[in-house]
Amino acid sequence: MTQFINRRTILKTGAGLGAGLVTGALGMPALAQEKQLTFAVWGGDSEVAGYRNVIAKFESANPGVKVKLDVMPFAQFYQQVDTRLAGRQAPDLFRVTYQQIGRYASNKAAIDLTQYLEKDFGKGFTPAVWSAVNVKGTPYALPHHTDTFALFYNEELLEKANIAVPSSLDEAWTWAAFIDNAKKLKTQGGSSYPFAMSWQNGAVHRWMFYLYQHGGRLLSEDLTASRITEKAGIETIAWTQSWFTEGLVPPSTSVKSAEKVQNLFANGTIAMMLNGNWQIPFVEQQMKAKWGVTYLPRDVAMADDLGGTCVAVSRDSKTPELAAEFVKFLVNEENMRSFVNTAQLLPVRTSIVDKGIEFSLRPNEMKVFVEQTKTIPEHLVSTVIHPNWGRFNPKMADELDLAFTSGQSAEQTAENIQAHIERLLLRA
Amino acid sequence: MNETATSRFSGWWASFRPRLTPYLFIAPNLVLFSVFIFFPLLYAAFISVHEWSLIDEPFYIGAENYTRLLTDYQFWQAMKNTVIYSVATVPTSLAIGLLLAVGLNRDLYARTFLRSIYFLPVVVSSVATAIIAAWLFNDHYGVINALLKLVGIQPVAWLSTTSWALPSIIITTLWTRVGFCMVVYLAALQSISPTYYEAASIDGATRLQQFRHVTWPLLRPTTFLLLILNVIHSFQVFDLIFVMTGGGPGFSTTMIVQYIYQSAFATSEMGYASAMGIVLFLLILLFTLLQWRVNKRTEEFV
Amino acid sequence: MMVTTTTPTKKRLETIGLWVLMAFGAVIMIFPIYWMFVTAVRPKDQIFIPDVNLMPTGWVWQNFADALAHMPFLHWFWNSTVIAVVAVAITVTINLLCGYAFAKFRFAGRDVLFLAVLSALMIPVQVIIVPLFFVVSELGLLNSYWGVILPRAAEAFGIFMVRQFMVSIPDELIEAARLDGASELTIFRKIVLPLSKPIIAVLIIFTFMWRWNDFVMPLVMLTDQEMYTVQLGLNLLKGQYNTEWTDIMSIALLSLVPMLVIFVFFQRQLIQGIAGTGLK
Repeated sequence: MTQFINRRTILKTGAGLGAGLVTGALGMPALAQEKQLTFAVWGGDSEVAGYRNVIAKFESANPGVKVKLDVMPFAQFYQQVDTRLAGRQAPDLFRVTYQQIGRYASNKAAIDLTQYLEKDFGKGFTPAVWSAVNVKGTPYALPHHTDTFALFYNEELLEKANIAVPSSLDEAWTWAAFIDNAKKLKTQGGSSYPFAMSWQNGAVHRWMFYLYQHGGRLLSEDLTASRITEKAGIETIAWTQSWFTEGLVPPSTSVKSAEKVQNLFANGTIAMMLNGNWQIPFVEQQMKAKWGVTYLPRDVAMADDLGGTCVAVSRDSKTPELAAEFVKFLVNEENMRSFVNTAQLLPVRTSIVDKGIEFSLRPNEMKVFVEQTKTIPEHLVSTVIHPNWGRFNPKMADELDLAFTSGQSAEQTAENIQAHIERLLLRA
Repeated sequence: MNETATSRFSGWWASFRPRLTPYLFIAPNLVLFSVFIFFPLLYAAFISVHEWSLIDEPFYIGAENYTRLLTDYQFWQAMKNTVIYSVATVPTSLAIGLLLAVGLNRDLYARTFLRSIYFLPVVVSSVATAIIAAWLFNDHYGVINALLKLVGIQPVAWLSTTSWALPSIIITTLWTRVGFCMVVYLAALQSISPTYYEAASIDGATRLQQFRHVTWPLLRPTTFLLLILNVIHSFQVFDLIFVMTGGGPGFSTTMIVQYIYQSAFATSEMGYASAMGIVLFLLILLFTLLQWRVNKRTEEFV
Repeated sequence: MMVTTTTPTKKRLETIGLWVLMAFGAVIMIFPIYWMFVTAVRPKDQIFIPDVNLMPTGWVWQNFADALAHMPFLHWFWNSTVIAVVAVAITVTINLLCGYAFAKFRFAGRDVLFLAVLSALMIPVQVIIVPLFFVVSELGLLNSYWGVILPRAAEAFGIFMVRQFMVSIPDELIEAARLDGASELTIFRKIVLPLSKPIIAVLIIFTFMWRWNDFVMPLVMLTDQEMYTVQLGLNLLKGQYNTEWTDIMSIALLSLVPMLVIFVFFQRQLIQGIAGTGLK
């Protein structure tokens, strides 16, 4: 039996107790007479710069409109947005990953944008990201960019070990070849560990592309049953677990640690790293040795991670039409092109992807990433956009971490993950 | 106006006012507490019997959150870790603090300077402490391992092994707490009248005996104060875990407040988090009440 | 000070031994802060060199200037200062009044209220942060200094300490003043406060420290980056994808300075003050 509680009445009673005693407010109240939009984001310097550029252009094209950019730390971003939504004080617009938008969409915290979009608006975007922002055919956010993974490598160390790097997607190393190369690097020395994977700090969903590479699935085709306990699932868990048991990765790079893999790559602790395109500026600045980027290893299939973010309009917005205008402006072709170039991210408009885009920093390496975006499986996308994915993610991290660091068997891990799937991902 | 009535009234008012005074004096605090602490606490209790993801409406589920706690492996692990952490840090920081206080109570060269150094870590914010500690203890580029290598000891995988992760957190905590205990004990030691010691030494007591029979009993109220404060503080450890280990590896450093935070904001289960918060609150309250009773017997609180 | 009957030479050796021990401990204590300093003055591209260098490898004082310029830190220092100073003024005043009442008056419900006040210390803030956000937002105080100052203005620990201290103030003084016809407020101002100088100093130091280092509450209440405090700024620096170590270490060091100044200034009263909190 459901009982909806009128939170407002309780709130008013409580606040009434104290309301009379407080006088005045020091500081800046947010009410303004001119039209103002607040846009909450997280991001490094280059991303924030990219956002500010677009905002400046929008403001000059729309006099009397001000867009305030709220930059928040990523670690507490969703805590802030959710708290503000609970208090009916959410910003007009907020950035959100594809894995989290489902939660906001299904709770109607992000508004339905259909009425603000032209027909076939979605056709301008790559199918994977457009399906990610839609729930039952209704768009709740607009895709802004994507990110994906590839293999960074230390040129000097690989040369010393006589390891040749694949020059095209077809020549990508098989899993076996990848492990062989890793072992070669390990025996050669020069770095403490052969490689590491960047899946810390809540990014455990990146483990999934290995599952798809091995022909496995988390959920069935129609997303109504778990498939993690099948042979392919257990084997993938066992394979990634073996990286730790065989000393191929630093023990501190498990899914629940706070380790930053790119630091280890920059200071030579690891010879290769599986990481995303946004790391290029950092590596460029900090890495002393020569380095490059190549394709991911592959098994029966090639697969990659769906990274990136979209932008949604919150239900608390007092000016949804204006907010929608801004989002559309943000993701139009010209602005998207300059944004991804500034921030070293990947575009999601088919027009840009087809025409090609030349990045100012490390263009050849970025080409590898762009190619890899084509290998993101559609089923992976439909799995991670489940409204409860945000709740499931930390639980999957708990189980995989136990497998990697505490010797939990692959079978047991798969079973435990299945229990979480059944509790969280399969209910209506 | 009737003269006798006014004088009776002012008489009544004169005798009533002193009675009103204490209430007036505590009123500002009480009002602030009510609005900003007790009301939210009641609200949390209210939410603890609901399911709430923050972005939708709360949904009544009765005592389900509490019964779920009973069988939640991660909850019990978090409780166990928090208790171990508390037991490891509280008596230790008290003991070290006391030793430091005794040592720095003597007339030593640069005594004030040394005391300031020991107190400095207390002043560093938890955010800064966590950031520095995470770096110092890092397996690969951390300074502690570099120092160990210098003296020929094998580097330790501090934050990535289940056996060393919790000790790293404990060591960092001790760094931030011993200074506080030291300062409080120092003050207490200085307020012990020398006549007690003179009397004891005349009776032929050794220094150790003096400590056991004079110093330690007189320090009991301080110990009580520090015990309560440090236990409360240790049960609420959060920033350190969040930044250094994220609760891992495995569940070896998952602490109760960190699990509460994760339930509230990562897995969107505010009702469950509130239930845990209420349970934690009641436990600490119980502990304090017990300590209060024990202490009342040995010390008179007016 | 304990009285001993050992020989002078033995005593001297003991003192030296003790001093060495204390000094050694101090070195361990100061090391992390020393490390912060070394990192702050290190050239940026030498942070992650494989060989860890304990000595400063450079004296890049420019890093401090860069850190301050990189983000609006001076502005954040200002915010932190305003919040801390106002909070201290309010908290110390009401704590003194409240602690005095608990220490020297008998009134109905005193013990229960005192326990209630103490129990406020035991609630993990994460549990009440959302309803607290509601309250502050209903009061229209979001994103303002008052929204951060008021929720923490009532400090239970302070009340506890003041009470312990004031219990030892002689009742006769207060009674005498009452018989002379002085009002309660006058008694408080003219008799109790002057005797409480040490505890006032203690309260000022600890309250300033707690408000300066507050993190969880300001994080939720201050949504506008211009209103950020130093701790929120540090957290932001900790970073999205990568940490700017020289920036963080510089700012963390700078943020210790106000605390240090206050501590050194009030140090003597600090010891004296805690001495009086009923620890006889």
